[in-house]
Amino acid sequence: MAGLELLSDQGYRVDGRKAGELRKIQARMGVFAQADGSAYIEQGNTKALAVVYGPHEIRGSRSKTLHDRAVVNCQYSMATFSTGERKRRPHGDRKSTEMTLHLKQTFEAAILTQLYPRSQIDIYVQILQADGGNYCTCVNAATLAIIDAGIPMRDYVCACSAGFIEDTPLADLSYVEEAAGGPQLALALLPKSDQIALLEMNSRLHEDHLERVMDAATKACKDVYAVLDQAVKEHLQEVSAMLGDRGMA
Amino acid sequence: MAPAKCCVPGERLCSLEDCAPGHGTYCKHGYIFASLSGYVVKKNDNGMMPVLSIVRDTDSHLLPVIGVTVTCKVMSINARFAKVQIMYIGSTALKTTFRGTIRKEDIRATEKDKVEVYKSFRPGDIVVAKVISLGDAQSNYLLTTAENELGVVVAHSEAGASMVPISWCEMQCPKTHIKEQRKVARVRAEYLQT
Repeated sequence: MAGLELLSDQGYRVDGRKAGELRKIQARMGVFAQADGSAYIEQGNTKALAVVYGPHEIRGSRSKTLHDRAVVNCQYSMATFSTGERKRRPHGDRKSTEMTLHLKQTFEAAILTQLYPRSQIDIYVQILQADGGNYCTCVNAATLAIIDAGIPMRDYVCACSAGFIEDTPLADLSYVEEAAGGPQLALALLPKSDQIALLEMNSRLHEDHLERVMDAATKACKDVYAVLDQAVKEHLQEVSAMLGDRGMA
Repeated sequence: MAPAKCCVPGERLCSLEDCAPGHGTYCKHGYIFASLSGYVVKKNDNGMMPVLSIVRDTDSHLLPVIGVTVTCKVMSINARFAKVQIMYIGSTALKTTFRGTIRKEDIRATEKDKVEVYKSFRPGDIVVAKVISLGDAQSNYLLTTAENELGVVVAHSEAGASMVPISWCEMQCPKTHIKEQRKVARVRAEYLQT
């Protein structure tokens, strides 16, 4: 057999999805009492946990202070047991530093940082199980955690990956599809205003195809948005029901 | 009353012409958008435009701003300033403390050159102060106690007893009757528990 068939003649992918179909998303907000905000999300077999602290006084070197807005501090990590091969993953290796930087850029675009000058917002995300689309899952988890923390944002940030295999744009790649080595694009979108918070692609793709892949990613981000929105609204109702209809005032 | 409308970040609430933006909202292209998840509350102020704000079930984050009254604890003193930790803003307790500084010249309004920090504050005192500056790159929040209502409200003597104020610059220990010097605040009547 000449490699794995990623897209069958009938148009189904390895895990039985259609080209534009997402994996099942399950999300839960407010999983920790200790943190200001937290969220847990599963996208298929990719599982991520995000916690948010702040805004609080700048920790560590005070030279980082920004006088007109808050500093967004991110940290991305992967659990030792998150991949097929058990491996100790030290903080600050090249891959996670890059991911940290991407997350920081994404959320600086979305959080209304100018409301909290001279303070710091910490976002910690950890991948518990990696099955493709780690960046996107982290962004979605962090968005929920920030909303849970009550930090003002312009909009949700929804992220989703898209690939291009056998002349077809595929949404929300799994690990198997990522490992095949085709072009892969990660898009973080502010879905209500259609603004791009981050767009990343690190392989070659013909210009003519780019638009189709972008469209597939945009569509997938909006599908993610619908799921996240549902999760937030459910959480909101849950919390206000628990606190005895104080929100109804 | 009908249940308040719930909203999520990024949701468009109404035009800027109908309402004024309040807490938890922002404006873009002439519209008011939500920046928090919570419930929309429209408040009508006499004849003015109604203010649209978002309330959450949990408290929002507060930062000290210029002009607010804060309650802080003195952590250390030296000849030039006292370092404090801000614990309350107005009557709201902070989740995390902020560091602040009370400089010698900001301790009292008159005879500034005769002020001694150690005759005004001691580590452990609870002080009511006002924020005068957010500070610069090197310093943190600058506070002042140069008003009658500002200064030490709770202090313990060397014997460990909570002291009683006897004048604007002295407090007395109820156990040993030793007088200690402090910049005492004249606590406003409405804050006193009777």
